[in-house]
Amino acid sequence: MMNVGDMADGLDVSILAPAFLAGVIVLLTHIPLGREVVKRGIIFIDLAIAQIAGLGVIIAFQFGWEMHGLEAQIAAVTSALLGAWLLHSIEKKAGEHLEALIGVSFVLAATASILMLAHNPHGSEHIKELLVGQILWVDWSQILIAAVISLIVVFVWFNYKNKIGNIGFYILFAVSITSAVQLIGVYLVFTSLIVPALAAAKYQTKPALVLAGIIGIMGYFSGLIASALFDLPSGAVIVWCLAISALVIPVLSSNLLTNIERQS
Amino acid sequence: MTAFLPVHATINVFACEPEWAALAEEIGGGKLTIYSATTSMQDPHHIQARPSLIAKARRADLLVCSGAELEIGWLPLLLRKAGNADIRPGQPGNFEAADYVEKQDVPKKLDRSMGDVHAEGNPHIHTRPENILLVADALRQRLSEIDVDNEKHYLSRYEAFEKRWTQLMAGWEEQIKYLQGENIVTHHNYWTYLNSWIGMNVLATLEPVPGVSPSSSHLAKIKKQLSKQKVKMILHVIYVNDRPTQWLSEQTGIPVITLPATVDYQGGQTLPLWFEIVIQQLTSVQ
Repeated sequence: MMNVGDMADGLDVSILAPAFLAGVIVLLTHIPLGREVVKRGIIFIDLAIAQIAGLGVIIAFQFGWEMHGLEAQIAAVTSALLGAWLLHSIEKKAGEHLEALIGVSFVLAATASILMLAHNPHGSEHIKELLVGQILWVDWSQILIAAVISLIVVFVWFNYKNKIGNIGFYILFAVSITSAVQLIGVYLVFTSLIVPALAAAKYQTKPALVLAGIIGIMGYFSGLIASALFDLPSGAVIVWCLAISALVIPVLSSNLLTNIERQS
Repeated sequence: MTAFLPVHATINVFACEPEWAALAEEIGGGKLTIYSATTSMQDPHHIQARPSLIAKARRADLLVCSGAELEIGWLPLLLRKAGNADIRPGQPGNFEAADYVEKQDVPKKLDRSMGDVHAEGNPHIHTRPENILLVADALRQRLSEIDVDNEKHYLSRYEAFEKRWTQLMAGWEEQIKYLQGENIVTHHNYWTYLNSWIGMNVLATLEPVPGVSPSSSHLAKIKKQLSKQKVKMILHVIYVNDRPTQWLSEQTGIPVITLPATVDYQGGQTLPLWFEIVIQQLTSVQ
């Protein structure tokens, strides 16, 4: 049923541009935070925080709050912050078992949601809204809010990194994840956080951030184009394009990166 | 992209489900360019966003959907993204099939404990053949309203379809007569309209409330209930997980009948061909 006209259909700047911009806004925070996450070896923390944010909304919902817009956001951010505080406290005691404990908190939060919703499937719409944002549906007001949050997080991170301490990192992380997950969904958040950072992990900070940025932008760009050309769900295609960019771009740009490294 | 206007401009139809794409084809074939947002193997409650969906919705002159909140998870987002004023709710370009039939399962009171129920009633209206005719007539009128020039074309095609479908329906009613009054079990309340058309009794639904997977105690309760009564079949809709139905079938020996949820429009199937298969499957149980 596919013809050339169908393929060209989706290649429309006004459809793809907001999604691309949402991706860039998420990359802005996720590239520096992702580098930190990879360095600390707490890869699954974003899944745990996102799941805890979702759980918070469900609990509020079970208490009979009518959840819409702002109230759901407050419940989500509050529980994400509580989750961040919890993981931060665990970090001190857990030592080498931290990653395992993060994994366990993810599973506990996810299954707690299932149990709370066992007799209340309407709540599932709410958790879906929080966990499976879809990048193509974003509108300008969402982009604006996310951009403001991203800029604040990035500003604090680069200027006060050493002053905010460990708990500061967890707070910034919880806020970024809660905002990003609703915009682009949990798979893309995980990929944007981990994949570019991982590909650039062996470089020093400056070239690493440049490389991760290029990988991220190329991943979103090529993913959106491929999604339009082949008429596939955008989120999943971008995940694959990010992974391919992470494999290909470091090889192509290794000379450039060594130069940046020598200069700095 | 609008630089080359086709010589014979056609009406762009955006169908949310393939059954309405197929119905539009029956009534407006030749004058319409039809696109179906979902396939017969997809659950129309949830779909993933693709760029082409937005592009098609932007260009649509007429949106044809089931309505009754079936598409509530994605259609409002899509319409907001598309920004096409012609197909907003309340406009002539927004056609909801469920508005033209008598709905079943309309909750008397709505509360959350009842599950994924639709306030406006069960949206799977296309599973009752009489409903197809009611919607066909309403769709013909709507098409004539939007595209006055081709009113005659739509009327003659509608009349031909109405005649053929009525004949087919008489044949089907004959074939399924023996199923009247039989007991069945369903998984999701997808076939409510079909069941009431045939006159079968739904003894139990595997989902305790719509949209929630059965728990082990619920399954055990159903199994016990079924051991006392004679049950003809377990009805299953193709796009949901068949493990609960298979389990119950193994436990009780009652056959599972899997019905195609809707027309395989993208594969070239038509409404009569689809319903022919539904009847064949149903009557495979003697």
